[in-house]
Amino acid sequence: MLMMDVDNAPQRAAIAPNDVLIAIDQVSKTYVSASGAAVHALSRISLDIKPGEFVCVVGPSGCGKSTLLRLLAGLDGYSEGRLLLDGEKVAGPSRKVGVVFQAANLLPWMTVRDNVGLPLRVGGRHAPAGDRIERLLAVTGLGDFGDKYPYELSGGMQQRAGICRALARDPEILLMDEPFGALDALTRERLNLELQRIWQENRKTILLITHSISEAIFLADRVIVMSARPGRILADLAVPIPRPRTFDDIVLHPDYARLAKDVRGLLNAQEHGHD
Amino acid sequence: MTDLANIAAPAMTPKPTKPSRRISLGSPIAWIGLAVLILSWIAAVNLLNIPSYILPKPEAVVRALWSGLAVSPASPLGYYLPLWSTLSNAAMGCAIGVGLGLIIGSLMAEIEAIERLVMPYAFALQSLPKVAIAPLIVIWFGFGDGSKIAISALLSFFPVLINSFTGLRAVEPERIDLMRSLSASRFETYRIVKLPNAAPFIFAGLDMAVVYALLGAIVAEFLGAQRGMGVVITQAQAVSDVAGVFAALIILGVLGIVLHGIVRWCEAKVVHWGANRKK
Repeated sequence: MLMMDVDNAPQRAAIAPNDVLIAIDQVSKTYVSASGAAVHALSRISLDIKPGEFVCVVGPSGCGKSTLLRLLAGLDGYSEGRLLLDGEKVAGPSRKVGVVFQAANLLPWMTVRDNVGLPLRVGGRHAPAGDRIERLLAVTGLGDFGDKYPYELSGGMQQRAGICRALARDPEILLMDEPFGALDALTRERLNLELQRIWQENRKTILLITHSISEAIFLADRVIVMSARPGRILADLAVPIPRPRTFDDIVLHPDYARLAKDVRGLLNAQEHGHD
Repeated sequence: MTDLANIAAPAMTPKPTKPSRRISLGSPIAWIGLAVLILSWIAAVNLLNIPSYILPKPEAVVRALWSGLAVSPASPLGYYLPLWSTLSNAAMGCAIGVGLGLIIGSLMAEIEAIERLVMPYAFALQSLPKVAIAPLIVIWFGFGDGSKIAISALLSFFPVLINSFTGLRAVEPERIDLMRSLSASRFETYRIVKLPNAAPFIFAGLDMAVVYALLGAIVAEFLGAQRGMGVVITQAQAVSDVAGVFAALIILGVLGIVLHGIVRWCEAKVVHWGANRKK
């Protein structure tokens, strides 16, 4: 496995390099589709993610990358292997994990503030919200929109609220399932920048699923490339580009071009293998 | 960061926080239709010499209406006492039917065993013309308010049962995933996600339920009662006072429209996100 360049991440120097927060060990997943056929979604996936790491997973459509995220979120069970979060076996949804869904997934009958504060009001252990929700809203530029309803917000702002909600319980791990896939390119880049900033300030461990190569390289410490179904890990590529990154700078960086070429090559080989 | 928020902001057109929703008075075409109907009524009565025991003159109906409305609310000759009697029984029955429909519909949606237990009977009863049970209910509950309330409850129960069940099952799986990811309890998921999600369905059922409740109360009164709008109609019929029957029907028609309007108004208040949701 490729090691992260410690010089590019001085904030993480205090963390022991061998410390593993998410351990995925030989995990396979087979499920029965609606038509009754057995679908082999994941095949012997192994991946270790360290605390504070930002990992992006790219792969062809239907390669099981969302399945992997659902397993980590405790939403689905896995067939084989071992899945550990902070040393504990995943047996269901965990408070250590915040999930950011595709297309925000806000509840339309609640204000933005209530949506963001929802994690503090359900699932037992009702934490006092204090000013945490207001701070999260302010930090993501939603300070003036707390009383609005989701339909009054643009798609980009809705997804900001979705990220706020995932951060409400201050989880150690953020799992993001193609969070910006439904947004236009410009909004997407803005939210990528913002996510990078949030990550640098909050030191969360992030696993983000995407099918955008540029998004993956821009955001990630490591880009994981997955194969077509049954999903396997084809490559685990370190992104040694210093932060904070900007889209203007990153495209000029020699490593960007090299990584983009490598990832594209791997994905194209998959597509052709399918034809 | 703040500049990012500002860039995104112009995409939002300023909207009033509470979009004004008024009960529509209907399209002009509906009013034109009503005018045409009344005019052809007048024409038919005057030109075709239709006897008044078949079709009364509009002015006779207006006179009957007036004599029923322009009296003290406590007068035994007015519409107010029978209207109150019918309305209160229908309201009571509707409340019972809607409450039971919502509770049983929720249990069916949440617990599969209950769904399998109740569903076949629910559908069998749904296809049964429930008005046909009314004589039986009068035997059981007598000629007093009880039978009116029971028939109203029975008729308003089914639309709410079926609609709340359907609505509670129609929830997007992503929203259930969200609640699961937060380790929300079953009741929290029901209260926070499923029930609001089902609200438009439940209101559609409620809309039918209020009209059915009124229907149920009137039918029960036809079968035997001391008071109520059903009694007003049967008494007018007994003396061939067709204008009186027409007047009572007009009162009931207006009442139905008002009840429908009240439900729509409540729906607009409760399901406030609905109008803009699909944008």
